[in-house]
Amino acid sequence: MKIECTIDNKHVLLTVNSNKPLNLILMDELETSHMETRCRDGNCGNCVVLLQDEAVLSCLIPAFRLKGAKIVTFEGYQKSRFWHDLERAYEDTGSHPCPHCYASKTLIFESLLQTVVKSESGPSHDEEPDETTIVREVGLNKCPCLDAHEILDIFRAAAAYRRRRRVRRY
Amino acid sequence: MYEGIRSPAVHMPKTMNDLVSASTRFPNATFWAGGTFIMSRHDYYPTRESNDIISLGEVPELKRINRTDRYLEIGSMVTFEQMLTVGKQVLPGLLQTTLEGTATKIIRKQMTIGGAICTPQSRLSLPGTLSALQAEIEVKTCLGQKTETRWIDINRLYDRHGTLQLKKNDLVTRIRLGFERENFSSFICAGNPMINLEETVMLSFACFYNQAVINRFRMCLTFPTTMFLIPHEIDMMMHGTMLPLSTQQIDRVVRSIMEGVFSSNEHEIPAIQLERARRFVESAMHELNAQSLSER
Repeated sequence: MKIECTIDNKHVLLTVNSNKPLNLILMDELETSHMETRCRDGNCGNCVVLLQDEAVLSCLIPAFRLKGAKIVTFEGYQKSRFWHDLERAYEDTGSHPCPHCYASKTLIFESLLQTVVKSESGPSHDEEPDETTIVREVGLNKCPCLDAHEILDIFRAAAAYRRRRRVRRY
Repeated sequence: MYEGIRSPAVHMPKTMNDLVSASTRFPNATFWAGGTFIMSRHDYYPTRESNDIISLGEVPELKRINRTDRYLEIGSMVTFEQMLTVGKQVLPGLLQTTLEGTATKIIRKQMTIGGAICTPQSRLSLPGTLSALQAEIEVKTCLGQKTETRWIDINRLYDRHGTLQLKKNDLVTRIRLGFERENFSSFICAGNPMINLEETVMLSFACFYNQAVINRFRMCLTFPTTMFLIPHEIDMMMHGTMLPLSTQQIDRVVRSIMEGVFSSNEHEIPAIQLERARRFVESAMHELNAQSLSER
């Protein structure tokens, strides 16, 4: 199956099996260095990418859903200005995810930060996440390297930076 | 590594007519809703046996939430997260708790109500809750170019072991819920129904009462791969009972349900599931008592 999509702002034409999961496409076809998952059951949470600006587990996305889609991996995200909010939050709090889950947890944090901006910029179904939601969402990645307090500290610090930007959209 | 693996043909109907036509032309194709269950199977990819796929994601009729005077009708391709945006006034409390307790927001944005109902091998949390809420399901049967539509009680979708009773040419298109709200509800889940199939137990319980007299007592106990138990006799037994329940009444309910568990399953059920089921029922009864006392 031929699929045209945008990965990290690059237009790509993929020839892959229609049911191949996105994480395998990124690893096999594009050799994305930050994708290191082969759990195949959505259980490790180590394969998060942004699909149409929303965090998804790439192992649960089949190739046929990628037609015309915009995918941002951690490598692409690092080139965006929003990455610096989280980078600075990690520095300020002195806590950061371990190298194994760094990419995934960072993208989950980013998806939570987007709801902060959306909820402040007008009527939206996305409410600013409460503490339980934040810890639970980040817990999608099963790596235990951050405890609940560290997760909340990182989120609050990053949210403060994000609010200062007064960004309306990605 | 992937040599000899067939790439399944993907059909993406855009209308109900196209969908009916596709399902008639490709009777062995797999209906694809959100894909979270199918793709989380260990043997999903690579595999040599790949059926064609009919993706339901582009049929607008299946994505609608419709509110009438008497019912809330939800399209089968509505995601869990979209349902949560319907609002607390419209969505029954038990359904809201169940949806919020299922996975994380990131996954809920992909999980669909139809997919959660029609998982082939195991029962997830939603069917039990819809059963406790006495939901009705619209099933379309594709007969050549014609379709036959019928509304059925959700309990008729499964047998006592939780096996899906739909035929190959049947398609779940809508779910209908009444607006009558339960006075007390409880959803308890231990374990992950996607992973720990042998340990997970889910209890959905809705109780309707008026002036401390029970009118309806709806309970559904789900063991993902072995049981989908709706103890109708308890509903009859508890009808007209005054709240709060006495210790003897609670014991009688628990005993009766556990007898139902043993009698309706010839397989050996792991001890952890039995113990969890017993505790969940007890816990729900005590919570019901606490609420009824607080309302006095």
